[in-house]
Amino acid sequence: MKPHRRKTLGIIIFIAAGLSVAIGLSLYALSSNIDLFFTPTQIAAGEVQPGQRIRVGGMVKEGSIRHSEEQLQVNFITTDYAHEVDVQYNGILPDLFREGQGIVAEGSITPEGQFLASRVLAKHDENYMSVEVKAAMDAAERQRVMGQTQGQNQEGFQ
Amino acid sequence: MPTLQFSSFSEFLQMGTYSFHVWVVYLLFAMFLGYHLILPGLQRKQFIRLQKRRAARDAELAARAASRHGTNDRSAE
Amino acid sequence: MWLWFSKLGSPRWFYELSGKWLPWLYAAMALLLLVGLTWALLFVPEDYQQGHTIRIMYVHVPVASISLACFPLMAIAGAITLVWKMKLADMVAKCVAPIGLWFTGLALATGAIWGEPIWGTWWAWDARLTSMLIQFFLFVGVIALRSAIESPDAAAKACAVLAIVGAINVPIIKYSVEWWNTLHQPASNFSMESTAPNPPEIWVPLVIMIVAVYLLFVISLLLRTRNEILTRERRSQWVTDLIARSQV
Repeated sequence: MKPHRRKTLGIIIFIAAGLSVAIGLSLYALSSNIDLFFTPTQIAAGEVQPGQRIRVGGMVKEGSIRHSEEQLQVNFITTDYAHEVDVQYNGILPDLFREGQGIVAEGSITPEGQFLASRVLAKHDENYMSVEVKAAMDAAERQRVMGQTQGQNQEGFQ
Repeated sequence: MPTLQFSSFSEFLQMGTYSFHVWVVYLLFAMFLGYHLILPGLQRKQFIRLQKRRAARDAELAARAASRHGTNDRSAE
Repeated sequence: MWLWFSKLGSPRWFYELSGKWLPWLYAAMALLLLVGLTWALLFVPEDYQQGHTIRIMYVHVPVASISLACFPLMAIAGAITLVWKMKLADMVAKCVAPIGLWFTGLALATGAIWGEPIWGTWWAWDARLTSMLIQFFLFVGVIALRSAIESPDAAAKACAVLAIVGAINVPIIKYSVEWWNTLHQPASNFSMESTAPNPPEIWVPLVIMIVAVYLLFVISLLLRTRNEILTRERRSQWVTDLIARSQV
């Protein structure tokens, strides 16, 4: 190899190595911030400042959805079954939004602890099945729960 | 046993309310298939045509050079 | 073993062997695509949450998972180029790059189309989507690097280094959904039972589509590599003979 070629190659290898170190370090530095959302437990632990723009992820608590009568406004509670966050949202909800559904809300928290969302995304899980299979599973689940005295079998969100 | 999910062709095209999303994805996939299977063949044909032309041109140049040599030789006589 | 290795490194031998494989690969792919696409479009039951958008999975998942194979393959080919200076390895490395770019691009596009109705957004800066976008730009970088360097040898070496470095991104993509909170759901666990999440009626056609798209990847790579062999070996006797014989 000619000397000037060798030099070019050296420079390129240097750039590639530098780039990889930079990417590696920034990923490492971001490793806590790379999470798309905070959980209600993290918010209860005071990891978030009021007014800070964040996302919160959790399940929509059963029976907590309250639609406003005049506007599009909706209030609901999102939970990770340890802590809860009260969310207020004004806008169009995704098709999958329902009770028990995993969601990610984008917005900020007021000093009173109310989360004002500017956007709500549905987080769907990795379980695919037909309506029939789901119905059969739910029926089996009801049988099991009725067999016990009290059914407490909620899974954590994470 | 898998059962057919649609009772009519229009229902199949509708895909519930998701006709746009489902069909755009399958259209993209069809274009993707076409791209991967057809393009290399076209490039190959183009390359072979180019090489044939080059070979023909080289042969012609060689022949012309040889004939010029021939006339030069005769004029020198 | 060594004889086989050096034989495989001979572009002519590879060209002739791959020519014999191609018809079989085409036939297998066509059959699997026919079965897989028919099953995915007509027979897979609607998902209880997502309805018919589940059919998008049968394109998105195969394309995305195979796009993850491209960088490791390019890195291995690059390592062989650097260590043994095998010509064929560099040709494969060169041809994988645009294929990987298109696979990654289609995975991103189909994911966006799927996310738009289901998540409520076509894009989110979550770890899975972002690392996949980084892979897309890494492919662009590899292709640009090769075309930017005039000397083929230097280009081969530089691309090999970038491919090896860039392969770090692949495990990040794969495990991003487990390491971080993401909008993208984690990988599904297949179930053998028909009354559980992800029953065979849903995953069997998916496996068929994955194999079919894998074959597409192999065929595409072979076709491109064969063209690359002809181009680079155009001055050798066997290629001039082959061109003289071929009817176009």
